Amino acid sequence: MGNRYDIAIIGSGPAGLSAALNASIRNKNFIVFGNKDLSTKVTRAPKVNNYLGLYGVDGKELKERFKTHIDSMGIEIVEERINAVYAMGDYYALMVNEKIYEASSIILATGIEYTKPIKGEAEFLGRGVGYCATCDAPLYKDKIVTVIGYNKEAEEEANFVSELTEKLYYLPMYQGEYDLKDDIEILKGRPLEIIGSDFVEKLILTTGEVVTHGVFVLKDSISPGQLVPGIEMEEGHIKVDRLMRTNLPGCFAAGDCVGKPYQYIKSAGEGNIASLSAASYLDKLSSKK
Amino acid sequence: MREINDSSLITEVSNGVTLVDFWATWCGPCKMLSPVLDELSKEISDIKFGKVNVDENPQSAEQYRIASIPTILLFKNGEVVDKIVGFRPKAEIEQFIKKHV
Repeated sequence: MGNRYDIAIIGSGPAGLSAALNASIRNKNFIVFGNKDLSTKVTRAPKVNNYLGLYGVDGKELKERFKTHIDSMGIEIVEERINAVYAMGDYYALMVNEKIYEASSIILATGIEYTKPIKGEAEFLGRGVGYCATCDAPLYKDKIVTVIGYNKEAEEEANFVSELTEKLYYLPMYQGEYDLKDDIEILKGRPLEIIGSDFVEKLILTTGEVVTHGVFVLKDSISPGQLVPGIEMEEGHIKVDRLMRTNLPGCFAAGDCVGKPYQYIKSAGEGNIASLSAASYLDKLSSKK
Repeated sequence: MREINDSSLITEVSNGVTLVDFWATWCGPCKMLSPVLDELSKEISDIKFGKVNVDENPQSAEQYRIASIPTILLFKNGEVVDKIVGFRPKAEIEQFIKKHV
C-alpha cells in the first residue's frame, strides 16, 4: 500500500511554491511536482518591479530567491510529469505513466502554457479524436490513423499503434530525427483542421489533406480539462471561487491557470489561499472519520 | 458489475435503463473508472450496470461505434440515449444517470 499524501501540488511556479510553503507551515504531508528550474516564465523575465519587497530583481534573481526560500524550509520538488489526475471520490489518483500517487487533496498550479487545440479537435473528441493512442489503438484495427506528435515520446506510441492499423501517418510538431518504423508515413506541415460528419474523416494541413479515421494528438503540456477529467473550465481557465475551490471537492487551483492577470505575486497569493483551503478541507475530512 | 458480450448485449439492454461500460485491460483510465462504477452499481438500484470488454467483443464496439475507451453508453429500452467518453468523477456520473431515471 502506497503512501497517501495530504496534498499534491502540481506545478513549481510562484503559485505552487507559495502553496507548498503554507502546506509546510501547516505541517501537512505534501508533495510538489514540477521542475528544478521552477518556472521557465520566471527565469526568462528581464526585469521585475511589481513583486512587493523585491525591487529591481530580474527573473533569474527572483528564481534564486524562491529557490533559497524553499531550500531553507526543506521543500523538495519531484521532477515527474503528471499525465492525468482522477477524482476517485475521497482521494485523487495522480498518474505518472505506470506509476500512481495518491493524495487526499490537490492544488493545480500548472500555469498556462498549453498549446491551443486544433480546429475540430474538441468537436470530434471520442468520435475519432483521442489523446491516449495506446488505449484506443485496438479500436482502429485495419483503419487509417494519424498521430500528431509534439515530442519524442509520441514516436514510441506511433510505432505501437502502427502494428494494428492499416496505415499510420505521423505529423511531427518538432524538428529532429524521427525514430519510426518504415511503414509509417511522415507528414509535413502544420495541422489546420479536423473535419468529418459523425466521425473524423479528414485532417487538413497547411500542405494539403489526408483521409484518416482517427487522429491522436499527443502533446507536451495538456490543458487542465484533459489533465483532470470532470473539472469545470471557464473561458480557457479553471473555474474557482474566492477560496480557490474548483467544482471538484478537495481540488483547488491557483495562478495563471485560473485566469488573468498573469502576475507573480497574484499567483503566490492564490497559492497561499489554495493551500489554506486545502488544509481546512483536510481538517473536515479527518473529522468525518 | 455484469460482464456482457457480443451475443448477450442486445438482450441485456432491451428492457429499462442500462449503463454499459466499454473497457479493456490495457487502458489506464478504464482501470480507474471501474471501481467508481462498481461503487455506483451498489448505491443505485434503479438501473442495471454492465461492462463490455472491447478486446473480446469487437462486434459490439463496432456496432455502437466506440472510438475511444472508456466510453459509457446509457440504454433505455434498447436505444442509446446518452453517452460519456473518458473518465468522469463519481458525482458527475451520478448526475448523468439521474437525468434519465
